[in-house]
Amino acid sequence: MCLGIPMQIKSIDQFVARCEAKGVERDVNLFMMQGEPVEVGDFVMVHVGYAIQKMTEQQARSSWELYDEMLSSLEPNVEVGNA
Amino acid sequence: MSINAKQWLKLIHELPIKETVKIMNVCGGHERSITMSGIRGALPKNIELIPGPGCPVCICPEEDVYQAIQLALKEPITLVTYGDMLRVPVNVKKSDIKSLEQAKASGASVVPIASPMEAVKIANDHPDDTIVFFAAGFETTTAPTAAMIAQGIPDNLLLLLSGRLTWPAIALLLDSETPGFDALVAPGHVATVMGESEWDFVVTKHHLPAAIAGFTPETLLAAMYSVLRQKIENNYFLDNCYPELVLPEGNVWAKNTINKVMNVVDATWRGVGVIPKSGFELNENYRQSDVNVHFPNYRDEARNMAGKMPPGCDCAKVVLGKRYPNQCKLYGTACTPQHPIGPCMVSDEGACRIWWAGGLRESV
Repeated sequence: MCLGIPMQIKSIDQFVARCEAKGVERDVNLFMMQGEPVEVGDFVMVHVGYAIQKMTEQQARSSWELYDEMLSSLEPNVEVGNA
Repeated sequence: MSINAKQWLKLIHELPIKETVKIMNVCGGHERSITMSGIRGALPKNIELIPGPGCPVCICPEEDVYQAIQLALKEPITLVTYGDMLRVPVNVKKSDIKSLEQAKASGASVVPIASPMEAVKIANDHPDDTIVFFAAGFETTTAPTAAMIAQGIPDNLLLLLSGRLTWPAIALLLDSETPGFDALVAPGHVATVMGESEWDFVVTKHHLPAAIAGFTPETLLAAMYSVLRQKIENNYFLDNCYPELVLPEGNVWAKNTINKVMNVVDATWRGVGVIPKSGFELNENYRQSDVNVHFPNYRDEARNMAGKMPPGCDCAKVVLGKRYPNQCKLYGTACTPQHPIGPCMVSDEGACRIWWAGGLRESV
């Protein structure tokens, strides 16, 4: 439940953004971003479906690469979730 | 130009480190990155990386898990919680149901969720049902729970709140006579929410080197280099090696949201005992959403005992960094991810589970 996922904002409807990471789309809550408003195209770090901070595209890509490496090194019967 | 992992390792190997230095991390994500990227084996032999109390599932009080199981079994409710919590075992007779997973298999309504938003959706979709959200986690998970509540939740959604603050566990270790580490790598996303200043006490009160790290090998190695150099030069400060996300004051809106809906209270950590000012309760304005108000007879304080891990399991020592996962005699024998005995083998954030996933199969 502690795994943060960087995602890019595709659209915003009040406090809910449709976000994308490596082709997967999810709704992300923006309630905690009211001190630093975000726009479509921005990247955010997401924990349990809630954005906690803005980040750059380069930082997002570094994190995705790390997760790709970790997932590929895991045994098939061990799941990595972001519960 | 940024420094890559190989260059950070070279810099670390060039440091004149004469004595053994023990560096503790306090985040399952850090331990996962360290283990999966092989950092531990690539460092000089006299640097030890110790996984500390960084797994919220592992330290979630046994009595809270027991309460969740009993509510799910005996009341007409649906219990929702993060997937990691389903397999956490409680200490009961062999014939009794010992996890939420077993409760679900026996017919209880238990639903794993990945976000507080799902809890709200389930409650809205089933207005005649009572939904209990068993919300464990550290600050990165508690802040979203607070945001969910602050945005307004339906009357049929109740909270079993088991959130914890991370830093008081490190304060507890440092206040003890045997903290067991010489430097701290502080958790990047906890600090993203709460601010870097939350970790100042490690330096100012306890005179230990400390650095906040992100999750790539580069930022973790940068933090390790920082604390080692601080130690060599006897010049200690809190270094922020994750400045792209961690601001000095953190996410102020998130912190204000937590303060709006919750009070900080003394709280039990499984295997540790009560740590002052380390947990949360809903404040008076939101207490009507507390499951204990509606189901007051499921809080069994008699179960509240320090060190209550399953028999033979060393999770309590693993959580506190007093023992490595493979030093537990159950590791890899009776206790595996397929058949976990202790919570450290259950959760993706648990040190035992991470070391197993990293390929370490034998106890020592």
